[in-house]
Amino acid sequence: MESVQPKIYQLMSNVFEIPVEEISEDSSLDSIESWDSLRHLNLILAIEEEFGITIPDEEVGNLVNYKLIELIINEQLGKH
Amino acid sequence: MENLKYSEILQQNKILKEKIKGEPFKVSILANVTVSSFKEIAEYSLRLNGINPAVEIGNFDNIVQDTAHCRDANMVIIFYDMLNIADNIAVFFEDMDDAAIQQVEQKIYKEIDLIFENLAGIQTVIFNKFSSLLFPSGFLQSTKLDHFVANLNAYLEKKAQRNVSLGDINKIITKLGARQSFDARFYNSSKAPYTLSFFKEYISIIEPVVFRITGKLKKAIIFDCDNTLWKGIIGEDGMTKIDMSPTSAYGKAFFEVQRIAKYLSRNGVIIGICSKNNPADVEEVLANHPGMLLKNEDIVIKKINWTDKVTNLREIAKELNIGIDSLIFVDDSSFEIDLIKKQLPEIVTLQVPTATYEYPAVVQNYIYKYFDLNSSEEDKKRTAAYKQEFQRQDESAKFQTIDEYLASLEIQLNIIKDDNSQIPRISQLTQKTNQFNLTTIRYTESQVEKFMKEENSYVFSASVRDKFGDSGLTAVCIIIENAATSATVDTLLMSCRVIGRNIEIFFMDHILNFLKEKGYDTVYAKYIPTAKNPQVESFYEKMGFNVNKTENGVKYYSLQTEDYQGKKVGYIKTAAVQYN
Repeated sequence: MESVQPKIYQLMSNVFEIPVEEISEDSSLDSIESWDSLRHLNLILAIEEEFGITIPDEEVGNLVNYKLIELIINEQLGKH
Repeated sequence: MENLKYSEILQQNKILKEKIKGEPFKVSILANVTVSSFKEIAEYSLRLNGINPAVEIGNFDNIVQDTAHCRDANMVIIFYDMLNIADNIAVFFEDMDDAAIQQVEQKIYKEIDLIFENLAGIQTVIFNKFSSLLFPSGFLQSTKLDHFVANLNAYLEKKAQRNVSLGDINKIITKLGARQSFDARFYNSSKAPYTLSFFKEYISIIEPVVFRITGKLKKAIIFDCDNTLWKGIIGEDGMTKIDMSPTSAYGKAFFEVQRIAKYLSRNGVIIGICSKNNPADVEEVLANHPGMLLKNEDIVIKKINWTDKVTNLREIAKELNIGIDSLIFVDDSSFEIDLIKKQLPEIVTLQVPTATYEYPAVVQNYIYKYFDLNSSEEDKKRTAAYKQEFQRQDESAKFQTIDEYLASLEIQLNIIKDDNSQIPRISQLTQKTNQFNLTTIRYTESQVEKFMKEENSYVFSASVRDKFGDSGLTAVCIIIENAATSATVDTLLMSCRVIGRNIEIFFMDHILNFLKEKGYDTVYAKYIPTAKNPQVESFYEKMGFNVNKTENGVKYYSLQTEDYQGKKVGYIKTAAVQYN
C-alpha cells in the first residue's frame, strides 16, 4: 500500500501552520505548540476529507501523535 | 472552492497571504456553536476576491456581548443556532408548555433587538435564519420546535434593518443533505455541528454580499444565439425548425432562459447578443419568430457578425461604457467559452450545459451570485436609458461641434439634497460606480442615511433628463464639514451612463456655490486612484482646485471659495433644486 506519511505530514503542516520539515514520526500534541483543541478538530476534518474515511467517534480524542494518526488511517483504509 | 479540500485551502491561504495586502477587511463571526474551521474558508474566499481579510471568531455562545465589541468590523456574520438553543433548555423541547416556550421566545427576541442595535453601524451583517431542519419532525404534523423557529424567523424579518441580510441555511442543508451538512460526532464532542462542505457552500452563497461591498457585481449578460437563446441553428435549420417553445421537450429550457433574460432586462441588467450569424437571420427571428419572448426592446446591444468574440465583447464593453469585468457571457460552444476564458479572463463565462434541462437553473444561480436584483426602481429605467444612449450617439453624427450636439439634447438636472427616498439608489451607486468615482468609497444604506441626518454633512444627488428620456439619479456628492469654515468632498461620483456631457462640472459648480453661500472658506477634496478611475484624475484641477500634495498617488486638493470663479455649462439647465 502507498505510504500515507507524506500526505499526513502535509496535512499537519497545513493545519498547524508549521513547515513540513518540522514534522516527524515523533511529532505529538506535546511537541507541536499550535496543536490545540480547535486545531485538533480541524485536523480530524482534514484527515477525513483527504482520505475519504470516517474516524470512529471513540478514536477522535486518541489521535494525539503522528504514529497513532498513521495507524488509524491505515486501519480505516484497510477496511475498504 | 467546492472542489478544493480543506487542507488545500489552508495551503492556498498561505500562498495568497503573501500576495494580497492592503487595508484589512474585518470580519467578525459570532456564534453559539463552534465554527472554527470556517475561519480559514472565509479568509480564502475573501483573498480569492482580492481582499485582505482579518477574520475573527467571537467567544463561544457570547453573541450578544460580542456585538458590543466588534463595532469596527466591516462585516459581521452570526450563527445563532437552534441546536444550541435547544441544548440550553433543561427539558426536551416538545415537553415544554406554551408559557415556557413563550418565555424562551421573549428572551431571544430581546437578544435579537440588542444584537441589531449594537450592530446598527456595521456595513454588512449576515444573520442566519433559525432552522429546524436538523431536528426530526413528523411528516404530517409539525413540532413545537418547528413553530418556535417559524416565530423567531418572522421576528427576524420584521426587525432586520437595512444593513442586515438574513441567511437561509435551510437552502444549504437542502442542497447538501442533512448528513453532509451536520456532524453529530463533533457536535457532541465540541459543539461543532457543521461540516466543511457546509462552510464551503455557505461562503459561496454569501459571495454576492462580498461582490457588493467590493463593487464586483456584474452589469450585463451577453448571450450567443444558436443553442443558447433557442434550440437549433438559425442559419441551417431556419425559422420553422429552431425551437424555444414552452411545450416542446427541448425548447422549454430555452423558453425559460428567455423568460429569465426578460425579467433581468426589466430589472436593470443589460441584455446583449454576441453571435456568429448573418445579421439578417437573427433580426428576422427577433422581429418575427412567434416563440421569441426576448424582443428588440429588451436587448441593448447586438454584435451579430463573423468577427471573433473577443473583439466583439471588448467592443460591447466599450460601447456600453462599462468595465469588461462587468460582463457575463453565455455560449453553448466550448471553443468560444475557452477562447474568452483565455483571452478575457475578467469575463465570467457560462457554458450552456449539455443536459439542457439544467440550463435555466444554472443561469439563475449565476444571476443570484453576480447581480443585486432586489434593487431600486431606478434600475428598471436603465435598460431604457442605455437604449436612449445609442440614439444619442447616432444624433451626434448630425452636428458640427459637440457643444451644438449637447445643446440639442436639452439636458436638465434636478439637484436634490438629503432626500431619504433616494437612500437605496445612492448607496447602490457608491457600491457600483467605478469609473467616474473620485474616492471609490462604498457606503451602505444606513451610512448614507446617517450622512443625510447629521447636521454637518450633506448628500447631494443629481437626476438627469433630456429630450430622449430620463436617466434618473446618476450623480452623487457627499460633503462633510470639518470645521465651521471648511468642508471636504468625501464622495463624488457619476454613473457612466451620463459621462461626456459636462454634467459633473455643472453639478460640482452648484455644490461649490452652495458651500460658498453657507460660509465655508475652504473646500478640501481628494482623488484616490484605482485601476478604473484614471479618467477623473484631473477633474479637480479642471474645477480650479489647487493640488496641495500627492502621496502614494492620492492627490490632495483645496479651493478657497472666495477665489472660485464659477464654471458655466451653457447648455445644461436646472429643472429643480430641492434642499431637505
